[in-house]
Amino acid sequence: MMTSSTIRNSQDYTPAEMQAVFLSRDLTDGELGAAGASAAIPMAAMLLARLKHAPNLSIAGEMFVNPYPKQLWSSMLDDRALGACEAAETFLELFAHSHRGLDFFFHNGMQIDQYGNINLHHIGGTIDAPIMRGPGAANISYAVTSRRFYICTSVHTKRTFVPKVDFITSPGYLQGPESYHAAGLKYGPKYCVTPLAIMDFAPQTLRMRLKSVHEGVSVDDVIRQTGFDLQIPEHVDITEPPTADELRLLRDVVDPKGLLLS
Amino acid sequence: MSITTGRKTKRISFNEIGTFLTNTIDDGELLAIGGLFKQGRPLALVREVIRQRLKALKIISSPGSGFDVDLLIAAGCVAETFLPAVTLETQMCPSFRRAVEAGTITAHCVDALSVVGGFLAAANGVPFQPVAAWKGSDVIKHNPLIKEITCPFTGEKLFATKAIRPKLALLHAQEADEFGNIRHLSTMTYADQLIARSADTVLVSVDRIVPSEDIISRPRETSIPCIYVDAVVEIPFGAHPTGSFPNYSIDEDHIDAYAACADAARKGAPDGDRDLQAYIKQHVIAPTDQESYLASVGGTIRMDELVAEAQAL
Repeated sequence: MMTSSTIRNSQDYTPAEMQAVFLSRDLTDGELGAAGASAAIPMAAMLLARLKHAPNLSIAGEMFVNPYPKQLWSSMLDDRALGACEAAETFLELFAHSHRGLDFFFHNGMQIDQYGNINLHHIGGTIDAPIMRGPGAANISYAVTSRRFYICTSVHTKRTFVPKVDFITSPGYLQGPESYHAAGLKYGPKYCVTPLAIMDFAPQTLRMRLKSVHEGVSVDDVIRQTGFDLQIPEHVDITEPPTADELRLLRDVVDPKGLLLS
Repeated sequence: MSITTGRKTKRISFNEIGTFLTNTIDDGELLAIGGLFKQGRPLALVREVIRQRLKALKIISSPGSGFDVDLLIAAGCVAETFLPAVTLETQMCPSFRRAVEAGTITAHCVDALSVVGGFLAAANGVPFQPVAAWKGSDVIKHNPLIKEITCPFTGEKLFATKAIRPKLALLHAQEADEFGNIRHLSTMTYADQLIARSADTVLVSVDRIVPSEDIISRPRETSIPCIYVDAVVEIPFGAHPTGSFPNYSIDEDHIDAYAACADAARKGAPDGDRDLQAYIKQHVIAPTDQESYLASVGGTIRMDELVAEAQAL
C-alpha cells in the first residue's frame, strides 16, 4: 500500500527507502552503532552501509553483536532477526555500553520538538495522570553514551513535530545551548530523518533546521506539516535520491520481503 | 545406582502450578516476568496467575514488555508496573494505556538501566548499583528506583539504582532437567539469568524436560543453574502466543486479534468490555490445562505452522 506522500514521489522508491538510504550514507566504516526496538529503517540503514561502503561497521545493540537477518522485521529484537549473529549476550551489555560508548544510535518519538528532544511517555496531563500514555522507552542512556544520534520517524505531522515536548523521554538539545551545557550533555541529534525531509540543527541555536526535501516534496509541504517555526536556510537541496545500486542492495539483500515498500 | 539417586526433583506438574503460585506470592507483591516483548514470555504461567485471581500485583520484567502485561491488566491483577517500555511494537498496549489514563494502575516511570541495574544489585547482594549515564531526561526526575549519590572516590555526582528483589520470578526456556538446570536454546535470553539470580523464588516453564545426563554433557549451555531455580514445569508451547525459538515462532495473528479486542474495549465500543472478558474466559479461565488452551487457539494445525515458521528462519 502506498502512503499519500509516496504518491507524490515520481520516482520508484518509498519514503522509508529514502530514509534508510540517507542514513546508510552517513554511517562510516569502522563505527559501532545500535538501534532500538521497532527499528526496521535504522536496521536497514546499518545493513545497507555494511554491504555498500562500511564492511567494518559493527552493529551491537543491547545484547547482540553483528546480526545477519535474512529480512527486515517490524521488531528487530527477537530471534527472527537476531537468530544469526556473532555473539549473543544479555542485558548486562547495557552497562558495557555505558563504559565504552557507541558512535551512533537511532531514536523515534510520539513527539519531537525543535531542539530534538523526544517524548515516548505521555501527551497531555502529567506523567502521573496522563491524557494519553505512550509506551515509554527502554534505554534512555544513549544521549550520554552515544556520540551522535539520529531521529528517524515515519510520521511528519504537526502532532508529532511540536514546539516543546510534553515530557523529555530522551534529551536532544533541551531548551537550547544554555540548558544543554548546564545538564552536562556532550552529544546530541545530528539529523532528523522523516518521510518528507532531512533536518539538521543550527550550531548557534541548536534549533532544528531544514536541510533537504525529498523528491516531490516542497519546502512549503514541510513547513505545513511542522508544528514549530522550522529554520529555513536560503538554499534547500533535494535529498539525493537512492541510486540504482542502493535500491538493488536494499531490495534484493536487506529487505527482500519489502517491509519498507509497505 | 545413579549419581542422582535420592536427589529431590524440582519438577512439578501443570496442576501444581496454582498451589505453587499461591504459596510463594501474595496479593500486592512484586512479580517478575522473563523474556522480552514477544519472545520467551512464560504465558502459561501468567494465565495461571490470572486463574488464581492474584490481585494488586506489582509487575517488573526485562526492559521490554507487551502482551502478557496487557493481559494481566485486562484481567484486573495489577496495581503497579515498573516497566520501561510497554508495547506490542506495531501498536500500543491497549489495556495498559487505558488503565494508566483512567488512573486505575500506577505505571512508574523507569528505564532499562534502573531495572537491569536493580536486578544486578540484588543478584550481587548489594543495596544498589551505581549508574553514570543519566542526564537531561525527565525519566530521572520521576523514577522511584533511583537517588542521586556522590562517588566516594572522585566526588563525582552520579545515581544509585535500588536493588530489586522480586518475590517470585516466572521464566520460560526451551529445556531443563528435573533438577532445575535451565537451558535456553534461543539466541536471545534477555534478562532471564539476572532475574533468576535476583528473585526470592523462581519458577520456570520449559518446552521439554531432558535427561540430566544431557545437561551434564554440555554444561556451558546451562543458562541458569539449578541453584537459582525452585521449580520447573514442562509445558509444550508454554510461551504461546509469544515465541520460543528455535522451537516455535510468534503467533502475531493471535496477538493482533487480542489487541483489536482490547483496543475496542479501550475506546468504549459497544460490547467492547464484554468481548474482552469473553477472550479472557475463552483463553484463560476456561482452559485449565495446556491441551485445552492450545485447542482454543488453533490446535495442532496452528502450532505446526508456528513450528514451521521457526524452522524456516
